[in-house]
Amino acid sequence: METLQIKNLHVVVEDEETHQQKEILKGVNLKMQTGEIHAIMGPNGTGKSTLSQTIMGHPNYHVTQGDILLDNQSILEMPVDERARKGLFLAMQYPAEIQGVTNAEFLRAAINARRPKDNQISVMEFLQELDEKLQLLDMKESMIERYLNEGFSGGEKKRNEILQLLIIKPHFAILDEIDSGLDIDALKVVSRGVNSMRSNNFGALIITHYQRLLKYIVPDTVHVMMDGRIVKNGGPELAQKLEAEGYAGLRDELGLKINLVDEDN
Amino acid sequence: MDFDYSQLKAQFQKMLVENDEPVELVRFRQESLAKLKTTQFPRITKFDFKHWPFISNHVHFFQLSSLIEHQNDKDQIEVRVDSKNIITTVPNSVKEQGIIITDLFSAIKSDPQIVKKYLSKVISPDEDFLSAYHAALINQGIFIYIPQNVELTSPIHLTVNFDQQEKMTTNFHLLIIAGKNSRFQIIDHLVSDKKQTNPLTNFTEIVAGTNSEINFSSLDHLAQSDPVYYQYRAAVKDYAKVNWSIGLMNQCDTAGEIDSELIGEGAFANSQLIALTTANQQLGINNRVTNRSPHSQGLINQRGVALGNSRLIFNGIGQIIHGAHGSTAEQQNRLLMMSPQAVGDANPILLIDENDVEAGHAASVGEINQEQLYYLLSRGIPKKQAQRMVIRGFLSAVITSISDRNIRQEMIEILERKLREND
Repeated sequence: METLQIKNLHVVVEDEETHQQKEILKGVNLKMQTGEIHAIMGPNGTGKSTLSQTIMGHPNYHVTQGDILLDNQSILEMPVDERARKGLFLAMQYPAEIQGVTNAEFLRAAINARRPKDNQISVMEFLQELDEKLQLLDMKESMIERYLNEGFSGGEKKRNEILQLLIIKPHFAILDEIDSGLDIDALKVVSRGVNSMRSNNFGALIITHYQRLLKYIVPDTVHVMMDGRIVKNGGPELAQKLEAEGYAGLRDELGLKINLVDEDN
Repeated sequence: MDFDYSQLKAQFQKMLVENDEPVELVRFRQESLAKLKTTQFPRITKFDFKHWPFISNHVHFFQLSSLIEHQNDKDQIEVRVDSKNIITTVPNSVKEQGIIITDLFSAIKSDPQIVKKYLSKVISPDEDFLSAYHAALINQGIFIYIPQNVELTSPIHLTVNFDQQEKMTTNFHLLIIAGKNSRFQIIDHLVSDKKQTNPLTNFTEIVAGTNSEINFSSLDHLAQSDPVYYQYRAAVKDYAKVNWSIGLMNQCDTAGEIDSELIGEGAFANSQLIALTTANQQLGINNRVTNRSPHSQGLINQRGVALGNSRLIFNGIGQIIHGAHGSTAEQQNRLLMMSPQAVGDANPILLIDENDVEAGHAASVGEINQEQLYYLLSRGIPKKQAQRMVIRGFLSAVITSISDRNIRQEMIEILERKLREND
């Protein structure tokens, strides 16, 4: 069993133009282990994506306090690629496009990065694995020879993120708004992919605005995040409550003095 | 440059006597040599290479390699050149169409008029010091003549290995004459290994006849210690098309020009170049298209990557001459700087002397795309490999626009090879 623990995490980002630092995460605490699915819900601008990018190690996010522990070992000093090879995966909201590098080459490189030099995956083994996953995700074989995410529709990009998840098989996957821009059919396919990963060796942290996705991937724990902190924890029923009452309702119930980004003042 | 004209001339005279060359060629050499006294060293904007050691004061040779002709019945058309031999393999079916693919000197011997009609008609020895030197002392060359209306279905593969052991300058000349309505593809590879020390001047002249179409690629991996100077130039006649796809993956210092002269109405040139510089390497290229006739179309698309302490200069020169109305001159020059010690410059130069034209340029010098790199790293791909992939992505804008799949693949291979060598 593996664990991922976020301890009192404070994170600042620097504004590209003004170079002023702004604190986005103001003390996040979270603990999860493999075998569990957690969801983080929250209104826009509360730091959900900051949390996911900070866990992965994006260079724009600076930790000023607190720690991130993977199996009780701090990963703050670890470069991004090493974190990934240790078992972390981030399905991104806006995956990068790279012309000239095929999806197949990219996927093989990711697999082989986790294998010893003298035991790289064979073409046959790779294709077999790939075919199986493509089928599960209703993806065309031709996607594989296309350049990485280049010219992919929003839905294709999301499926491609899940394809990588299934091929790489991390211990912990963070899914950052994997449901945004998906129609109901695609949502079901993506959920099927994530659910197929469920096991004692896999944990997921699902970041979403809406309860919609959580109907298909039912979480064990739901965290609500507002203004850079987790303000409430609960079971799947918490997501349903939020859907009915909205974030403002929960905020008022908790007596928090926070302006929600999308709220008219 | 360390250069002694009288010493060179004395040697030159001696060689003239020793080599029994056709009188037309002897005159051509003499006239070219005389230009050394009146011409200036060639210039590349923002790139100083006038001290590079191109001129050799050692013994000069006129004709390095001897011709060996193979015949076969396959489709393969192949020329392999090294310091000893020029081996041509041309199927009979190709020869029967009147195609000539042979050693330049053998061609001149059997038809000395080639000198007057074609040799250095596109790149004149008058132009500059290196063109004069090259012309006077051409010591290796290939002549390719494709008659009118001939279409070649398989490409002409040309591989030149500069492995000359004796100290000298190799002056390699590729002369390509494309007849009216001809269509063909040439895939050139220039190679040398690290043990090679000699400098090289590599000139390619193309006469693209009316309505002909020539796809010329050169995928170069020169690793010699002395520099290379390139002149790639095409004279493009009415409605003819020339596509250049040049990959400069050399290790040695590299300077030169890719040049398309759109002399005919509706002539077209697409000048595509990628380059990668590493360590202390210097590379400066003028990529030029000149629209001299109405409705001509010139495109320049070049991308370069500079690593280490290298210096990489791309000048895109689009010139439209007065009277070339309805013409197009578009160019893109982009550089990716992989190290803070590397120096790079992408200079778009548009010289427009006509109103009724379309002209545009884009230029940029930037750093590695951090989002792309982060994405690859986040999948566990190690940093060096991820960087190589991002570099490939950057150069792909040129590579993927090359229509031939094999060329694209080879471009990627020579690129990967050089990147790995410099990891």
